[in-house]
Amino acid sequence: MPFPGLAKSLPPLLLGLTLCSVGRAHAFELFLGTTELPEILTATRLQQAPAAVPGSITVLDRELIRTSGAREITELLRLVPGMLVIPEGSATTVNYHGGLGAAARRLQVMVDGRSVYRPALAQVDWVDIPVAIEDIERIEVFRGPNTVSYGANALLGVINIITRQPSDSLGTQLSYTTGKRGIEDWYARHGFGWDGGAMRISLSAFDHDRFDMDRRGNDFPDSQRLSRLNLRSTHELDSRHSLDWQLALKSGTNQDKNYEYSNDYPANLQDSRADVDARDYAASLRWNIDLSPTHRVYVQGAVQHWERIQEWRACAPQIYFSPALSQLYGQSPSYVNALIAYASGQGAQPVPATPQQMTLTQQLMQDLSLLGFDAYTCGLLNANSRENRFDLEVQDTLSIGDHLRLISGTSYRHDAVTSETYFDGSRSKNIARVFGHLEWYATSEWLLQGGAMYEHDSMIGESLSPRVAVNYLFHPAHGIRAVYAEAVRSPDMFEESADWRMRVRNLQPAVLGQGSAYLFLSSHAQGGLRQEHIVSRELGYNGHFANLGLHLDVRLFDEDITDLITFWPSLGDPSPTNDDRLSFHGWESDANWQLGQSDRLRLSYAYIEFQATHHYDSELTPRHSGSLSWLREWGRGWNSNLTYLGADSLNENRFERLDLHVTKRFQMGSTGIELSGTWQQRLDDNPLGGRNTNYKQRHVYWLSAGVEL
Amino acid sequence: MNALRAAGLAVLLLAGAPAVQALEILVAAQESSPALQRFLVGLQASRPDDRVQFSRAEQLPAVADLPRDLRLILIGPELLDWRQRSVEGPPTLVMQVNRIEGRQILGRRQPLGITLLWGDPPLARQLNLIRLLLPQARHIGVLYSNDSAFLVQELRQVTPAGELEINAHFWPNTRDPRVLGRLLDQSDVLLGLDDPHLYNPHTIKTLLLSSYGRRQALIGPTAAFVHAGSLVSTYSDQQDWLDTLGTLLDRDPATWPHELYPAHFKVMGNTRVALSLGIPMTDPHQLEQALQRLEASP
Repeated sequence: MPFPGLAKSLPPLLLGLTLCSVGRAHAFELFLGTTELPEILTATRLQQAPAAVPGSITVLDRELIRTSGAREITELLRLVPGMLVIPEGSATTVNYHGGLGAAARRLQVMVDGRSVYRPALAQVDWVDIPVAIEDIERIEVFRGPNTVSYGANALLGVINIITRQPSDSLGTQLSYTTGKRGIEDWYARHGFGWDGGAMRISLSAFDHDRFDMDRRGNDFPDSQRLSRLNLRSTHELDSRHSLDWQLALKSGTNQDKNYEYSNDYPANLQDSRADVDARDYAASLRWNIDLSPTHRVYVQGAVQHWERIQEWRACAPQIYFSPALSQLYGQSPSYVNALIAYASGQGAQPVPATPQQMTLTQQLMQDLSLLGFDAYTCGLLNANSRENRFDLEVQDTLSIGDHLRLISGTSYRHDAVTSETYFDGSRSKNIARVFGHLEWYATSEWLLQGGAMYEHDSMIGESLSPRVAVNYLFHPAHGIRAVYAEAVRSPDMFEESADWRMRVRNLQPAVLGQGSAYLFLSSHAQGGLRQEHIVSRELGYNGHFANLGLHLDVRLFDEDITDLITFWPSLGDPSPTNDDRLSFHGWESDANWQLGQSDRLRLSYAYIEFQATHHYDSELTPRHSGSLSWLREWGRGWNSNLTYLGADSLNENRFERLDLHVTKRFQMGSTGIELSGTWQQRLDDNPLGGRNTNYKQRHVYWLSAGVEL
Repeated sequence: MNALRAAGLAVLLLAGAPAVQALEILVAAQESSPALQRFLVGLQASRPDDRVQFSRAEQLPAVADLPRDLRLILIGPELLDWRQRSVEGPPTLVMQVNRIEGRQILGRRQPLGITLLWGDPPLARQLNLIRLLLPQARHIGVLYSNDSAFLVQELRQVTPAGELEINAHFWPNTRDPRVLGRLLDQSDVLLGLDDPHLYNPHTIKTLLLSSYGRRQALIGPTAAFVHAGSLVSTYSDQQDWLDTLGTLLDRDPATWPHELYPAHFKVMGNTRVALSLGIPMTDPHQLEQALQRLEASP
């Protein structure tokens, strides 16, 4: 024996081998390292490849958001094919493919999984969403119906705003922006982490004057000033449990015109504006549970509050406050309209249809003899509303083998509103939802996906939305898809049960001895509306040409919305109905091309044809619309983004704009400094929006300076 | 006399044919393990004429007491440290040591009689893997600590100029993910260095979730991370190591190099991650062949 000290030789080794071969130890663990590593990117955490998605997703990534220089989320959405962004009064509306531009109600908008469209009016007050653009990691836009995953209201699409993880935004950042049109923003953030958690707190303010004038060249008050506080925190409780909670507070003033304002009445008794004080509060908590690498559950709860305080003084003829006129109008608006026309010397005197109308008409004549036609009164109006939402959702993701994944869940939501003006009190509804979605790789090329959502809306009733999709991945990075989806939009509380009247207080002079009275005009929803229903068929291609750095998505769509509710809420107008229909077909494309190390091109284009039964739905949609962006890194900290936006007939006007954003970054030790400038040049002179607002100058610019510590 | 003659003949035969002389091979490691035993069985099976024996570190005699004609195979950095303390000793092959451990123990020294068989994947090979799998990737993000700074220099030397650009960020405090975030913002893909200070069970979650959140892949640092969620890595399995050892053991130890990476290797990929990122993960065997072709004609 050459080495007497050696204890072991082969026979015992062989015994050891026999024993270990039945255990989990494997020979090449020796060469793989002995450290136990947890499986992080589990089947339940991984998202589908773009080519395997049962639909079309446009991702506005952080680089694009930063280099666009955009100050508003709505400006970013112009980069999404088929997304139509127009100003409407003091707000901005976003529609996909079309519909009534002034009232966008058919998109689901989420911030970190929290639905932010308003419960009562189903609209999104984009500028009031309590999120700073600097806190956004990316925006994912699912184009096409997706109520299966996101619930009713995702009739035409879903906009998912995803904020940065607190752990990705540690340290301090300060920035200040100033520019033409009263632009003045600032942002301050501090993020910090600890073992197993991180927190970000950000404060921001946003301020601008928006449009200069209305279509007649008159001054148009639509400035927006707001400030926000956002807090987001994540906690790793242990290897399987984590918490993510958020607080968001926003307070601001959006100027609006006093539409009741009339030159016939003394200006000193009227407000020229009817500004909205808007406050939005939200809190949410999400609990993620990794039961195993193949089974993940989350529970998310959120409470939100929207407060809109809009009070202003306006004047009107005293006779408008006659209780008899108000009652008559409640019974027959057409009779009152004919009566007013007659009193103005137009048309014949209408004949009362009922004895009660006759009596009320006689009372009205008495009031008229007391008040006359020309005597006016001025008082305080309001369009205040307070809306609340409570939302609880449980979602379960289960992976079965490598080829099957099931996503299912349930949610409960309580929506409530209080508004004397719009509802003469309060309304509320409960929405319960169950959903399931199955992804099955039948082979490595064929992916079948299907799902359905059942929803019960206590105000509207039940609905079932199915969706099926087949993706043929002829290459892992290239897929063709065919999608059939049905989806619904439940009428909002205003459409279904509005009771809209203006109670005017502090009337001066008092009318018939009353200091407070209802304006005679009113709108009462008849109720009984059905859900809007869409049938969508889609053929698509998604591919990634790795050698070229080109990512391309093409979507051919055919969308048909029936039982459409088209109406522009206006006091005195009839109740909305399900009488309309709107259909779209066309194609759109989204391309992202990384050219070499420094250049990136991004293209979006949509070709849309439509048929609409209501002329309101015939104005917004352009046949051709799109954008082209060129992002370049020039080196030495210089970056630029040049973007062209165009639509041949957006809300019946050609729209073309060129945006240039240039950034210079310095690093001084651990401190980063960023200076940037944005120039927007309109290439047309057209007004935009339903109320045709416009600028005096075609260009605007703003400058920013920021520091990151 | 006959017996003496026969013995003398045997001595002559043995002296005249060193290639077929049976070798005494001693494998030593800190601890035995089933995996190690399987390796020993494989080593013995691949060298039936040689005698393979195993010793735990604590049972080893002093290096100087070991016969000079022995072939010593040491497993792990502790054994390297033990061996390098002695100038004299049998020809030694050291396995299961990565570049950082080697640097920490030896500095820049290259002790005679010791051949280091690096356990971490060669960086040039990992770069080639990126070129094959992610041809659009230009900016290669690399994190380094004080321990691995020297590897960044080597990485730059093997990076094809004009084709790829190394973005290297110093990450002294792994509890602060800002450096990682900034790096990912400027990179197309993250290449891991086998630096246990940066890549370990505590940091891997942050690393993978941050990179995946930006739809970026992590390459490496070693095959052990592929299961966790790294996209792909090259590695050498038992057979590759046995082939590498076989080639060396057949040679005169005087011709052994100071260090080498195994020429034989395999590719391990996470197909699920590849699928999710939309990266076509070709058959690992084809990737191995493509890598071998690239290495043959760089």
